[in-house]
Amino acid sequence: MPQSDVTREREGSPWTGLWAVVAKEMADHLTSVRMLILEVLILLTATGTVYAATQNIRNTGNDKFIFLKLFTTSQDPIPAFVGFLGFLVPLTAIALAFDAVNGEFNQRTLSRVLAQPIYRDALLFGKFLAGLFTLALVLTTIWLLIIGLGILRLGIPPSGEEVARGLWFLLLTIFYGGIWLALAMVFSIVFRQPATAALASIAVWLFFTVFWGIISDLLAQTIHPIRIGLPEEQLAQMQLALALTRISPNTLYLEAIIATLNPTIRSLGFVLPMQLQGALLGAPLPLGQSLMLSWPNLTGLVAATILLFALGYVLFQRQEVRA
Amino acid sequence: MIRRIWTTALIITLTVLLAGLAAPVLAQEGGGQPVIAPAPQPLTIYTRYPSLEIAVGDSVSLDLVLQAGTAQVVNLDVKDLPEDWTATFRGGGKVIHSVYVSPDEEAKVTLRLELPSDVQADTYHFTIVGQGDERATLPIELTVAEKLPPSLEFEVELPTLRGTTNTTFRYNATLRNKGDEDLSVNLIADAPAEFQVTFKLSGQEVTSIPIGANESKRLTIEARPFIEVEAGTYAINVTAQGGEAQASVALSAEVTGQPDLTVTTPDGRLSAQIRTGKQTPLQIIIQNDGTAPARDVQMSATTPSGWKVEFDQETIPEIPAGQQVQVTANVQPADQALSGDYVLTIRAKPEGGSSESAEFRITVLTSTMWGIVGVIIIAVAVAVVGLAVSSFGRR
Repeated sequence: MPQSDVTREREGSPWTGLWAVVAKEMADHLTSVRMLILEVLILLTATGTVYAATQNIRNTGNDKFIFLKLFTTSQDPIPAFVGFLGFLVPLTAIALAFDAVNGEFNQRTLSRVLAQPIYRDALLFGKFLAGLFTLALVLTTIWLLIIGLGILRLGIPPSGEEVARGLWFLLLTIFYGGIWLALAMVFSIVFRQPATAALASIAVWLFFTVFWGIISDLLAQTIHPIRIGLPEEQLAQMQLALALTRISPNTLYLEAIIATLNPTIRSLGFVLPMQLQGALLGAPLPLGQSLMLSWPNLTGLVAATILLFALGYVLFQRQEVRA
Repeated sequence: MIRRIWTTALIITLTVLLAGLAAPVLAQEGGGQPVIAPAPQPLTIYTRYPSLEIAVGDSVSLDLVLQAGTAQVVNLDVKDLPEDWTATFRGGGKVIHSVYVSPDEEAKVTLRLELPSDVQADTYHFTIVGQGDERATLPIELTVAEKLPPSLEFEVELPTLRGTTNTTFRYNATLRNKGDEDLSVNLIADAPAEFQVTFKLSGQEVTSIPIGANESKRLTIEARPFIEVEAGTYAINVTAQGGEAQASVALSAEVTGQPDLTVTTPDGRLSAQIRTGKQTPLQIIIQNDGTAPARDVQMSATTPSGWKVEFDQETIPEIPAGQQVQVTANVQPADQALSGDYVLTIRAKPEGGSSESAEFRITVLTSTMWGIVGVIIIAVAVAVVGLAVSSFGRR
């Protein structure tokens, strides 16, 4: 065994002190004014959209999946709750993590923390987990609030399948937040100024929300140009454009929640008329099939979260902390 | 001397006579209108149809006209009237015995004859007599003819029909009234309990029809088997009854057996779950509830595009009546089939019969392979983190 490896070998688990970090960080998050503002914002959104949705559902009448409609029904001028989540979740996640590491640097507390019997691994992982748990806590509370308001306003309990789909939706939302959390954490490691990190995170989010759709269209037109105008060419171009937009976490998340909250959705891609021949339209998909439909999207969200964390971890481990 | 006086007188008379004779001639030549008193017309009675024929049971009215040269009251009477016959003269709505006839106006009188109901068919003669200042007679000849008795005739073009249990047996019949009386005819059918018989006249369902003397009407007799009748020959008697006349016709309906197929599954459930890319067997039962065996039953399926359905028996040689046959259909959905529900129709068609079908609701389940791939991707991501921890971890 080479000498260099021997010097690197360490004693004990790298996760020692992890839960202490998680507990302290969560306490910080939950008592911060920043979180309070975001919580009030999300609370208002949830109450407003659910009120509007129940108003709409009461007027339109019966549906088999009425509780799922609480999340997806919009009433002018208020968009549906899922529409709000599309930008409220990234905002919250970025707010939770943009100063995770560089804040400690600037307050010169990092070396003090690391003087404790805590590995760097545990510190970073603990910070990430604390952010994720805080996000999960907030989202679960709002989820329960919406279901509760729904029961109060509609007067019926949700069915088992509705609860299962709702929980899957919650899981998707948490991991969608996880991506932005991990991204903001990477930027907080790279940039020494918290403001720069926050701005960089928001820039990436804006890029994917606003510009990525246009760019993927342009890319698809360049890679698969329509020369003759055959349907195959058009299809190839459209499929490439769709595949490219799926790089954006926003698209992944929105597709997944559509498949989860709307049981009649049978496919997320292009559907050829041939595939629809003989199909019973409007029949809801079994729960397992709906989950299967959104499974690749969840995989993408989870994998992106883990890989971004891995990137941040590598960058953090190679950094000089004794500044 | 006296002779001369007579001669003179004669001459004068002759002259006067001659002058009398010549005067009109002279006057005519002079252009004057002659005034000659017409000879008075004798009393006349006439009718336009003095000889007529009626049927037994009818009553007769004769319109008489009286004319006379001088005004007079004429007593009316009928002479030589057969026994038990009654004759009444009517005028101005009343029974009269005499009539006043003036020269410038003819009088009209009606003679009504009431014949006894048991009158014999024969030719009868009688005379109408008018007795006023003059006497006038009018002989009348009245023939009483025997009436044709009411009689009906029923004819059916094709009295024996053959069909299946689903057939409506339609017989075209002609009902003829050969009598001289209008009849109201009741139609009665005597059919086995399994048959419902209706009568139709120009498309309308009827049970009783009016039919004029010497008229004929075309009827449609429809016999419909109520339930699944057994194969065999069934006799249907149809009777038309009007007054004392009656006619009947015997019809027969020959019912042949028919296969009646039903497509179902062993547990009656017409839904199934099938994975994409896999051939899934579907148990199908073809049941014959009919009254005859079904031969050469062809199996086929209407599928969504790109699906494959194979039967282990494309053709079933025979399914006896009341029996069932199990067929396995191997269903493979199209590779690009979406998850969710599709409709698949399975048909069974016996030779010479109509095809029966059942619609299956097939829920397509997508392969779980991609789910496993997803798990592997996450596992790789976690492995990357683990690798990073083990290679970058430091004290």
